[in-house]
Amino acid sequence: MVLPAVLDDLLVLDLGRGIAGPLCARLLGDYGADVIKVEPPGGECGRRMPPFFQDDPYPEKSLFFLLANLNKRGVALDLERKEGAALLRRLARTADVIIESFPPGYLASLGLDHATLAQDNPGLVMTSITPFGQTGPYSQYKGDEIVAYATGGIMAISGTADREPLQHGGFPAEYEAAMNGMLATNVALLTRDMNGVGQHVDVSVQDVVTSSLVINQPYYSFAGGVQGRRRAEGSSFGHVMPCKDGFFVTQEGGGVTWDGIADFFGRPELKEQRFADPTQRIANGHALDAIIMDATKDRTMAEMFKTASEQYRMLFGIVQTPEDLATCAQLEARGFYADVEHPVIGRIRVPFRLWNMSIGGATYHRPAPLLGQHNVEVLVNIGCSTAELATLHARGIIGGAGGA
Amino acid sequence: MTTKQQNADDATRLPLAGLRIIDISNVFSLPYAGGLLADLGAEVIKIEGPGRLDISRGGVFSGVYPENEPSEDPWNRTSTFNLLNRGKKSLALDLRRHEGREVLRDLIRVSDVLTENFTPRVMRGWELDYPHAHKLNHNIIMVSCSGYGPHGPYAQYPAQATTQEATHGLAHVTGYRGDVPSKAGQSFVDFLATWALVMGTTLALRYRNRFGKGLWVDVAMYQLGCYMVADRILDWEANKRLGERIGNRHPWLAPQGCYRCAGDDAWCVVSVHDDEEWAALCRVIGREELARDARFASNDARMRNHDAIDPIIGAWTEKFSKTEAMERLQTAGVRAGAVFNARDMHLDPHAKARGLLETVEFPPERGIGKRVIIGRPWKLSGTPLATRGPAPTLGQHNREILQDILGYDDARYSEMEKSGIIGSRPTAARPILRMSMEERVRQGRLAYWDQDYKERLGIQD
Repeated sequence: MVLPAVLDDLLVLDLGRGIAGPLCARLLGDYGADVIKVEPPGGECGRRMPPFFQDDPYPEKSLFFLLANLNKRGVALDLERKEGAALLRRLARTADVIIESFPPGYLASLGLDHATLAQDNPGLVMTSITPFGQTGPYSQYKGDEIVAYATGGIMAISGTADREPLQHGGFPAEYEAAMNGMLATNVALLTRDMNGVGQHVDVSVQDVVTSSLVINQPYYSFAGGVQGRRRAEGSSFGHVMPCKDGFFVTQEGGGVTWDGIADFFGRPELKEQRFADPTQRIANGHALDAIIMDATKDRTMAEMFKTASEQYRMLFGIVQTPEDLATCAQLEARGFYADVEHPVIGRIRVPFRLWNMSIGGATYHRPAPLLGQHNVEVLVNIGCSTAELATLHARGIIGGAGGA
Repeated sequence: MTTKQQNADDATRLPLAGLRIIDISNVFSLPYAGGLLADLGAEVIKIEGPGRLDISRGGVFSGVYPENEPSEDPWNRTSTFNLLNRGKKSLALDLRRHEGREVLRDLIRVSDVLTENFTPRVMRGWELDYPHAHKLNHNIIMVSCSGYGPHGPYAQYPAQATTQEATHGLAHVTGYRGDVPSKAGQSFVDFLATWALVMGTTLALRYRNRFGKGLWVDVAMYQLGCYMVADRILDWEANKRLGERIGNRHPWLAPQGCYRCAGDDAWCVVSVHDDEEWAALCRVIGREELARDARFASNDARMRNHDAIDPIIGAWTEKFSKTEAMERLQTAGVRAGAVFNARDMHLDPHAKARGLLETVEFPPERGIGKRVIIGRPWKLSGTPLATRGPAPTLGQHNREILQDILGYDDARYSEMEKSGIIGSRPTAARPILRMSMEERVRQGRLAYWDQDYKERLGIQD
């Protein structure tokens, strides 16, 4: 028996580019929505994003594109030509949700903004995910990961005080923005379920990053305090420290006392007041670091992680690599990976499930679409004849491998 | 009521109006999710033990007291707690005792959502995990947040964001170029969990609306953290590449970096994505000849010669303030961003225009006044949202919840108060950090502090 999926009554058009928009649309697909990716005949920029399968920069081999576009069908349609825009308007008449990430005002210039499309379809929800949001003096500024980290406020407190601010590795702001896009879309859908009216959802990546600063922000509005970056020396406890075969982090808290932490490291001198008292610890950071690094220089990450977590109930982390995560039994137990069969890439395990649900959870249905793969089935469904499709294809208004 | 009136009423209704959520939450992730659900219109009842207060009511994660003054009831005054728990009701209930758990069972019977972030064995041990909660209320939606999830080899490991940032793979890719792994930001994975918890709750509510069934949402912070490096995991799966730490550079575009500007600890990031943007950058910095220089003629060439580009950009940015550098570059179509700190995020014109930060007014007897807190990073054109009031004091709504909602009589209420099942003062206090603002700056906990911050924010008494 196929269980119903929570969003299986929805048609979603994904006009997103890059990571955040497409990933947001994919999350809706994971919960059953029929997601149609609409990209230009030359393919969206996400198809050109590394890493590539076997480092081959052939457009159907972008692993980032694969990740962000699972569970979608795809059409390649030029929205900047009036016939292309007209086709999108027809698609939008039966759509429930549109996800987009163009600069604010771009869709309006094509007559494809929410206000226009909602005239024919008042229930339409449109979610826009942009670097600085739809309003405000920076709304036309361009953004990317590092710009979001800088202007969002997190870089100012990342890294060390003697050096420049430091971004996170990878693209976490984009991932977080995708999550917030889906969250806010869900909220708009709950409202629409009540009153039948869709709305325009405005997600700013900068605002998303700022929203994680729940200690930093009110420190200012409660007492005027402005956090900076930690000092490079003398305060490594609570930060990354070296051991025999890699790096670890530990912290006070969890199910352990400070004395228990001293016992784990096998160094009774750590029980002295100058270390035990958190207000004195920073001032004695050099001595603390020296004792801990000496105590751990011959211990491995795996042993310490297990001992600290199981026997001492400490908060303890080890610096795991992508290889460690690819072989992690805990992720296996969570059903984290989907086995994807892609027509060009072949069989590959893709990180998939963000969280679990007892029923109605994320389900993998299909790989990312090839460029224009579903042109015919999607456009015939809105009444295009085969002859029309052939003309559109010949004129380059639709394109890609799916042809017409 | 006519359909038209009904529609008009529905249109102004908050999305989660009429829903009751039990929020047994601690630290950041779940408390914040509960605060957002309250913004969306739900009645959110936060339950803490009188002897087991939320960690954000004191100690290192609690931020700071208003004017750095703990006062008579420090547990009600910390900045972090008051941001995260806005708009909720507070029930201080001892769940470690059987009578306390009986109250929780009664509440589950009359609620829509039960959220909790204990280590998985706790609710199981109390027979309050999903199968049991479901028996009490077939329609209940349960939302759990744990470090690693209830099953698997790490299920019982204690977890918190700071240490998980290493284990879930982010520290491996974060750090200065060629340097050791590093932590970045603060408790990063907690906020991934916050978003996931609200996503899961809203999906579950729609599921229940459509199919008439509750369900269990099971969020593990580790799993979410690992998802944030999904592209790196795929690079390993496909290409056996482990990735490296590249600091502020971009993995495949150049140039990108964080450059010093005029002023104290002032920086601006710059990121060039293509040849056209490179030419624009060269124009802005008055070095148009570089746009024709073979060393920088293509992205590949710029990647190879990145070291030569950095001082050229830095020599230009140091002549301008961070915001002026950003504005000049962005106006020319070059991606750039001033590195904003906590003061900037309150006072920058764009932040003010967006209104992400909202002012909450506390009742006069709380002695907190008006404070600015983070709202929500999304705006809905048809549903204006705002924080719906300050965070509650400990046990502020004990009577309302036990008597008005559950219908307990006066005698039963008094008995529970007397025996300490409920309370409004902590029986085990959270640590109070007494340290002057000057000392915090001296120790490096703060970069600086603004004595006149209230005037700057316009929140004077």
